[in-house]
Amino acid sequence: MEVKVEGGDEFANKSYEKVCDDVFRDTGLTSNIDSVHMYCNAAEHVFIISVEIGRAPSPVKVWDMTLREGDKLRITDEKYAPKLLALLWDRYGERVQQISRLVISLELTEEEIAKLSDLIVYDPREDLTSRILDGIDRIFPEGARVRYPMPSAEGITVIASENPIVEEWKEKAKEVMSASSKGGA
Amino acid sequence: MYKIMMFTGGVYKFNELKETVEDIGGFILQEMVMQTETMMHLAFPEEEEPRIRAKAKELGGKLKDLPLAGTEIMVVVPSLGKHHAVYPMCDIAEFLRRNGAITNMMGLARGVGKRIAQMTVEEKAIIDECDAAVFVFGNFKECIEEKEKLCEMIDVPYIIAGGPPDLDLAHYVGGIGRRTRRMNRKVDIDKLEEMTAAFMLVLDERRKEIEEDPLAASPLFIKEMIEMTLPPKAGEELPLVLHLDGLRVKIEEEDEERVRDIEIGKRKLSEICEIEKSGYEGYLLKILPEAVSGAVF
Repeated sequence: MEVKVEGGDEFANKSYEKVCDDVFRDTGLTSNIDSVHMYCNAAEHVFIISVEIGRAPSPVKVWDMTLREGDKLRITDEKYAPKLLALLWDRYGERVQQISRLVISLELTEEEIAKLSDLIVYDPREDLTSRILDGIDRIFPEGARVRYPMPSAEGITVIASENPIVEEWKEKAKEVMSASSKGGA
Repeated sequence: MYKIMMFTGGVYKFNELKETVEDIGGFILQEMVMQTETMMHLAFPEEEEPRIRAKAKELGGKLKDLPLAGTEIMVVVPSLGKHHAVYPMCDIAEFLRRNGAITNMMGLARGVGKRIAQMTVEEKAIIDECDAAVFVFGNFKECIEEKEKLCEMIDVPYIIAGGPPDLDLAHYVGGIGRRTRRMNRKVDIDKLEEMTAAFMLVLDERRKEIEEDPLAASPLFIKEMIEMTLPPKAGEELPLVLHLDGLRVKIEEEDEERVRDIEIGKRKLSEICEIEKSGYEGYLLKILPEAVSGAVF
């Protein structure tokens, strides 16, 4: 992930580079983002962040996170356990039971068990945008509550300020957006 | 003048240290025994320090100077949101506590932003109840310069902690600013130490003022007298908080009269103190100077 911050003084740019880096690392998005371009103008209180989205991880299927043991499933990645249980209960009801923390018993036919492999437990693409927006929200100074999002094919650009957002800043955001996509390419 | 230090060591004969402190007219401010470990905050006359050091050495314990002990400091942040909590706000508060201060944290209701940042009259009154305040701001020079106007309203000594290393503002400590990581590296700790040193300077000025016009009785002595009348209840934490010129007493309303009637020498507590209900917690006791209240003994 490439991070570039401009517009502020040297100290502010450097520290916000670190903030961007840390926030996206904490939210687990570093590998899904190609580049982040931030523009800060504290004097007029306008901040622009443009994020170029890269590859999204492939969906997690039932066999990616469980091992079959006869008519039981052993969970190997507990992180997805609540989602898996919700999915199985929704589909098969009481025929699926959680008999211990990591073991699920199945009263299913062989055909149904074979179909399990195609079931998607979690698709990271579903909530990628909302996770990126959450990350952007954490980076912007808290006072900049007036937002103007500008979605594009490559990613998301958001303008934030404490004042009404004027046309001039939308133009600036487009510049930042194009610079971001050039930088990431 | 009293010196306040922290003793840490084993439980072996630590009662002897307590007796020594009491013999020389000192006070035990806090005491915590954790199985085989003890921690005590001791206040004693400055000139008796060698005696206390010798005793601590004899018991194999350690003494640490607490330069901010006996003060209550408010850590003020623009909001209690994820942008300011937990770093650096909690790091700053923890560091001040390690140096002996009692800290409170306050997130302003409308403190965020640059043009829109405000402080209410109630917030100002609560900050003014403490001995000092530290305002924790962010990384932009322009915003800190604008927000300095908020701090100017405050009557107690204050420090502004911000990001840019060199800003031409009074009581400013740079290099802190917005953080996403705990301040536990050497450079960060140096910054926090710099901030503590700045606090010591502003608080020493206040201490000198009090020394020139001495109080009717020391807050340490009044604390002990209140504790004798109203012993702390089980599970109650720090019911009496020391200030430089008074105390914050966290008591129920029905106990107010009992506190007012406590005898300090020949006088009642209500005669040598201004007692008022705090806007934040408990009651505030402002001890009058001896010149105003007259002699206590």
